[in-house]
Amino acid sequence: MKKIWFPVTLGFLVFIVSFQLLKDEPAKEARVLSSSSPKNTEVTNIGTEWVKDDLESAPIKKNYTPATVVGENDGTGIRPDRIVIPSIEVDAKVQAKGYTKDGGMAVPDSVTDVGWFEPGTEPGRRGNAVIAGHVDGQYGPAVFFDLKKLQSGDELHVYDKKGNRLTYTVQEVVAYPVDQAPIRKLFGPTNKKALNLITCTGTYDKSAGGYLERLAVYTVLTDRTKA
Amino acid sequence: MKKLLASLSAVVLILGMFAPSVFAKDHADMAKVRGLHASPDAPAVDVYVDGNAVVEGAEFKAATDYMELPAGEHQVEIYAAGTKGSQDPVISANVNVEAGMAYTAAAINTLENLELKAIQDSMEAAEGKSKVRVGHFIPGAPAVDVGLVGRDAIFSGAEFPMVTDYKELDPGTYDLEVRTTDGTQLIDLSGTTLEGSKVYSAFAVGTADNPEVLLLEDSAAMPTSMPKTGFGGANDSNALLAATALGLAAMGAGFVIFRRRSEA
Repeated sequence: MKKIWFPVTLGFLVFIVSFQLLKDEPAKEARVLSSSSPKNTEVTNIGTEWVKDDLESAPIKKNYTPATVVGENDGTGIRPDRIVIPSIEVDAKVQAKGYTKDGGMAVPDSVTDVGWFEPGTEPGRRGNAVIAGHVDGQYGPAVFFDLKKLQSGDELHVYDKKGNRLTYTVQEVVAYPVDQAPIRKLFGPTNKKALNLITCTGTYDKSAGGYLERLAVYTVLTDRTKA
Repeated sequence: MKKLLASLSAVVLILGMFAPSVFAKDHADMAKVRGLHASPDAPAVDVYVDGNAVVEGAEFKAATDYMELPAGEHQVEIYAAGTKGSQDPVISANVNVEAGMAYTAAAINTLENLELKAIQDSMEAAEGKSKVRVGHFIPGAPAVDVGLVGRDAIFSGAEFPMVTDYKELDPGTYDLEVRTTDGTQLIDLSGTTLEGSKVYSAFAVGTADNPEVLLLEDSAAMPTSMPKTGFGGANDSNALLAATALGLAAMGAGFVIFRRRSEA
């Protein structure tokens, strides 16, 4: 009868080992899923270039990230009405959304519409415009379910009500643990005309009622077409 | 009995795996600092903080983005570009930064009288309002007003090397000018667009003969947390189920082997 413990223990061990191997480990660091640059571009800089110094004729090394400067070429913005991402077959209505009661970013209740962060930048202008959408609803996939499949170089289009079209190109796809998401990098000042898409990813935490990671797709404006 | 203990410890192990993981990294004790080269006749510079190069080759009028520094005291050394190791720093200063605060550290005045001026920056504007301040970093230039062309001053009597308090304005496009306090226009800033929920710093730099304005965007509308973009309806995390199935299968196989052995 004692030997009954052998199969039971074996079963437990197999359970432990397979669970450890199978479970989605909540990431503790950002994961770059796709990037147009060879390395992790968490730190963006203007690159190392050699420029002539006016005062000394020796070349100097230049390496820093410039501040956000307001200029003449800041561009005109549109109020987004529709977003189309051909590579993952998304064609969704865009709602203008603001803050939640706690000061977070509000998103549509709908799982087929996406939300543009209206207090922030209008698409087309210099700055970080942000559009967020659900990855899933209570019972199945939602509008941004396939967002993680986007690759750097993929294009997407944002339209206003009149049909003016902005084309953005994906630069980088990164998943962040939710409490480490770089809010200033996603929403804050920038010299680029950027559009950042956000959805949930990673493990769903039932007790907290939310996903443990956020997926960020960084895109920049590459074309404008008038209606 | 030993085996029972072993099984119990396995149960403890399993429970342990479900304990919530704690994320160690914490941004709460960091300060934000950016640099501004506002000395018109100084060469390009390298900036070292606590001995580490943080900015290289910043020329006159260069402003860097905010960099994160741990709160506390830091040694800031500024060298003419590429001269660390061969020359003394042009500025060496200790600066103290507080957690959660943002600062601009500006190298100002002429090369001969070079100094480091640290000012605290605002990171938040009231919703739908623009916040602006003006810094006078033109050595040798008179006190200035900043206002709408030919109209009342919004900022008046700013002297070198002063930075005004922030003022709240309605967002919009303004025809602004920097002028002497007696009304002579120094810099034309017609068509300056200020957006809602953004914070700006307008730093006047250069020389009295060649003044210009660097208009920096310090902050924009940002939520306090990331959006909640999922309800878990399509989360495919069924590791527990799969592991349980495998475990039960192994247990079953164990029983079969055990039975065969005892039959043999």
